[in-house]
Amino acid sequence: MEYFIELVVNGALTGLMYSLVALGFVLIYKSAGVPNLAQGAIVMIAGYAVWLLYASGLPLVVAVVVAAAVMFGLGLLTERFLLRRMVGQPIIMIVMLTLGLEIFLRGFGPGLLGAAPKSLDIGIGLAPIVVGDVFINRAYLVGGIVAILLIGASLLFFRTRLGTKLRAVSDDHISSWAVGISVERAIGISWGLAGITAVAAGTLWGSVQGVDWTLSTLLFPAIAVVILGGIDSIWGVLVGGLLVGILGSVIPGYVDAVVGGGTRDVVTSLIILVTIMIRPYGIFGREDIERI
Amino acid sequence: MFYRLAGVHHTRYEQARALWPVPADRWQVLVIALLALAAPFYLSDLYLGSYMLPWLIWSAGALALTLLMGMAGQLHFGFAAVMAIGAYSSIHLARLGIPFELTLVGAGLVSAVIGSLFGAAALRVKGLYLVMATLAMQYLVDWVIINVPAISGGAQATLRTPAVSFLFVPLESLTARYYLALAWVALSAVFFLNVKRTSFGRALVAIRDKDFAAAVIGVDPFRYKLMAFFTSSFMGGVTGAILAFCYYRAVTPEQFSFNVSIQLVAMVLVGGLGSVVGGFLGAGFVLLIPIMLTNFVAGLAASGWLAVSSNLLSHLPLMIYGALIIGFLLFEPLGLAKIYDNIRKYFLVWPFRHARS
Amino acid sequence: MKWFRKHLFASALMAGMAAAGAAHAEDGTIKFGLLQDFTAVYTFVSGEYNQGQRDYLTLVNQEGGIDGQKFEAIVRDTGNQPQRGIEAYNRAREEGAILFDFLSTPVSRALVDSVLKDKVVMITPVHGRGDASDGETFPYIFPMMATYWSQATVLAKYLEDHGGLEGKKIALVHIDSPFGREPIPVLEDLAKDKKFEFKAFAYPSPGNEQSATWSEVRRFRPDNVLIWGAGGGQPVSVREAIRNGIPPENVLSVVWLAETDAKNVGADTMKGVKRFEAVATGKDNPILKRIQEKVIDAGLGAGEAANVGTSYYNIGVATMAVAVEAARQALQSEGAPLTGEKLKAGFEKIKDFNAEGLMPAVTITAKDHQGGGAGRVSQWNGEAWEPVSDWGAAYQDIVQKEIAHGAASFKEGK
Repeated sequence: MEYFIELVVNGALTGLMYSLVALGFVLIYKSAGVPNLAQGAIVMIAGYAVWLLYASGLPLVVAVVVAAAVMFGLGLLTERFLLRRMVGQPIIMIVMLTLGLEIFLRGFGPGLLGAAPKSLDIGIGLAPIVVGDVFINRAYLVGGIVAILLIGASLLFFRTRLGTKLRAVSDDHISSWAVGISVERAIGISWGLAGITAVAAGTLWGSVQGVDWTLSTLLFPAIAVVILGGIDSIWGVLVGGLLVGILGSVIPGYVDAVVGGGTRDVVTSLIILVTIMIRPYGIFGREDIERI
Repeated sequence: MFYRLAGVHHTRYEQARALWPVPADRWQVLVIALLALAAPFYLSDLYLGSYMLPWLIWSAGALALTLLMGMAGQLHFGFAAVMAIGAYSSIHLARLGIPFELTLVGAGLVSAVIGSLFGAAALRVKGLYLVMATLAMQYLVDWVIINVPAISGGAQATLRTPAVSFLFVPLESLTARYYLALAWVALSAVFFLNVKRTSFGRALVAIRDKDFAAAVIGVDPFRYKLMAFFTSSFMGGVTGAILAFCYYRAVTPEQFSFNVSIQLVAMVLVGGLGSVVGGFLGAGFVLLIPIMLTNFVAGLAASGWLAVSSNLLSHLPLMIYGALIIGFLLFEPLGLAKIYDNIRKYFLVWPFRHARS
Repeated sequence: MKWFRKHLFASALMAGMAAAGAAHAEDGTIKFGLLQDFTAVYTFVSGEYNQGQRDYLTLVNQEGGIDGQKFEAIVRDTGNQPQRGIEAYNRAREEGAILFDFLSTPVSRALVDSVLKDKVVMITPVHGRGDASDGETFPYIFPMMATYWSQATVLAKYLEDHGGLEGKKIALVHIDSPFGREPIPVLEDLAKDKKFEFKAFAYPSPGNEQSATWSEVRRFRPDNVLIWGAGGGQPVSVREAIRNGIPPENVLSVVWLAETDAKNVGADTMKGVKRFEAVATGKDNPILKRIQEKVIDAGLGAGEAANVGTSYYNIGVATMAVAVEAARQALQSEGAPLTGEKLKAGFEKIKDFNAEGLMPAVTITAKDHQGGGAGRVSQWNGEAWEPVSDWGAAYQDIVQKEIAHGAASFKEGK
């Protein structure tokens, strides 16, 4: 029983860590309608940025804040110089553009700052929090809390004046234009915000596994989170993250020993497939998908 | 100059419907076909074996995927898995002693059947959701291959291709392997060009443009989507088998990983959706540009033009390659085929700026 | 139709050839193709490893070469992609390279047949296929250091010598890939022989998240844990082990655990963790001292001076030390100019070569291309890796069984 509880708790926290990556994806998709397959690479760049600042002697908080500002700026620039020029093009070509961006960033970060893994010790400590026979991962706990805070902040943000504009943009670009909302700026801001969430994800994941290009592989579990939760829903990020994390922890926890292989990717893949077959728009997503 | 249209009259429907109605296109195709046929005689083993051969095979793969993505409009981010099924089943079939000619067909059929399962998702969703569904299936197929030693070949997870012969020619020398690949890609290209002119092809295009509109005019989307997946997976499976027997000759799971799927998609998209030229150009771009950039950058460094750390040096090609993809898409979002088309159109009316229409 | 593409193709080829031509100029050099993966899966090792290889070749050249022959490294990135590896291999071969090191499982797997056919040497130090130790089946492939199988046995032997194996519980926590599974058959055989309980736990690739796996490992209550991964997954494994209450002293790793990982886990936290080591770490060795003096201080180093003496750097140095020794033997007995066949013969003449104490003495014969499979266990003491056992090989009979099995199925064409 304790085993089960431990799997659930740590799985839930892991899932929330994935939510951090997924949040940026959703923010961009929600306003711009662009599935940003470079989000994993952006998380990697954010991790490198925090590492660079932190290793140069800045206090962690300052490093994270400066990195967030930098990533916000980079997000704005990406939107302005790459994505805006693709407006009106087939969506699949925009996806290809984000893939090109992913390749570029994969060369850029490790190329300039070194490909060997960098250590990013943010002082969380290794000792688990022990409740009964349940060991809770402290780093993931911090990550989970940060994720919940950021998701909460995003929910609140969408209630502010600027956030309302963003929601309007996500509803309909043309009518937003008609009432005087600058759609370009709104989309730019959502890219910037995605950059900020990437800093959180990059820092926390970087502290767990070190900063190197493998951070960009977090995209796959993040996509599972997004698909399950609903591709344009902030609530979906929270619930999707929890479910993907728990299922991806509990099922392998019992099945791996029988199968003799790591089954988590299988579980993640099946989550994606089953969701798409049963409820393509996810748990909280808007049901505007075209059906046959 | 190149494309003299004056005096080209089509007086019969057959002429107007010909694959290449303009004579200039015809002789260009002829020249390229001759160049390709004669390649083993003027290209060194290095360029024949490491550039031409993989380029042709991947072009066939890109064409198979183009049939699905460009013509039928069904996105597929798991095509490497389809090719893997073809490669693995061809090796296992050949080991059973089945003649290689039948092995190829068998590998295609196995891929086609399993690939149609991928298509099951397409009956339900499309667009981005289909991307995700096929991507998930890629992971499932990868997992099965890695985790079932009977498929992947035991502890070393490497399967060597047995010695076979195709139409009594042993597939041993590079030349023999090259010609088989060339024959397959030529067949694929001709098939692709002709599919566009059949009712099947037109049905696919109708579904791509609007599936319920297609349903209204009597094209059954269920049937045709599945047929698109079946046909494309068949071609992909045979391509996988050719890749295994003509190029790699030893198959490991990494050769068909998720990254390869992304590369195939990149070939189709960078090339330009839905055209044969695009398939060839895209495959060339995605496959050969990184190799050339690596050699180019290394050459620059060796001659002292580029004094940077070896780490940056090895990542520079990756950066340039990514930037090139971005650059080409920004310059011409419809891909390399569109750039080719623009150039062709320019010369079509050269020295004038516009045609009449 | 495709003429435009063709032109582009041809001109790019020209550019490539011109670039290659520059490297062609001086003859009488022995060329090694170090075609590795600097941008994908193997980035955690390839930078330092390759730097060590190149620095050692520079050192040999600075000291006048071997019989007046100089060495040249052809370095290219393959990105872990077989098709790029094949191109780089064919190109380097045209440039005259006679020895290849790919440091990438998929690339070297794809090239085994070509190497055997072209009669050039491929080295697969501390990685790569274990069955290639059988020199009769794989005449041109030289693992030349302990393969993963031998690494597993050396680790097991250490455990047997320090507390015994019988009745113990040993867990193998490995990445879910062919590399991660490689030690399983050997360890299963050992478990039967030595009567300990063995269980393997897989975590999904790339290993940045392993918490569920370790919850399971903890409940197995292992006396010792072997971690079998590489790159980013390794520090995660060590952290998870410590977090789950497994004392660091009971964690033993495959060869891929280095200073960067220790920094990543926290240098103090990781104190006590052991690993297999095929090559001594640190600068406390005549070769390393000479490299420092004649290469690094002279400004000829191939990378950051801080990397000199790290684990992977030294492995790189040792690989080239063996290769240069093989070239020396070949030049002595066969004479210049060297070819792949002569170099192979040179390798098989290597006897009790220990690179001035950098590595265990290897003796490579026509039959045994592994060179004995020796290594030792070292322990992280908070600052550096400290050897805790002597150089030696263990249970080679079990390893030989696996080798024979693998080689036999290769011969059958599988």
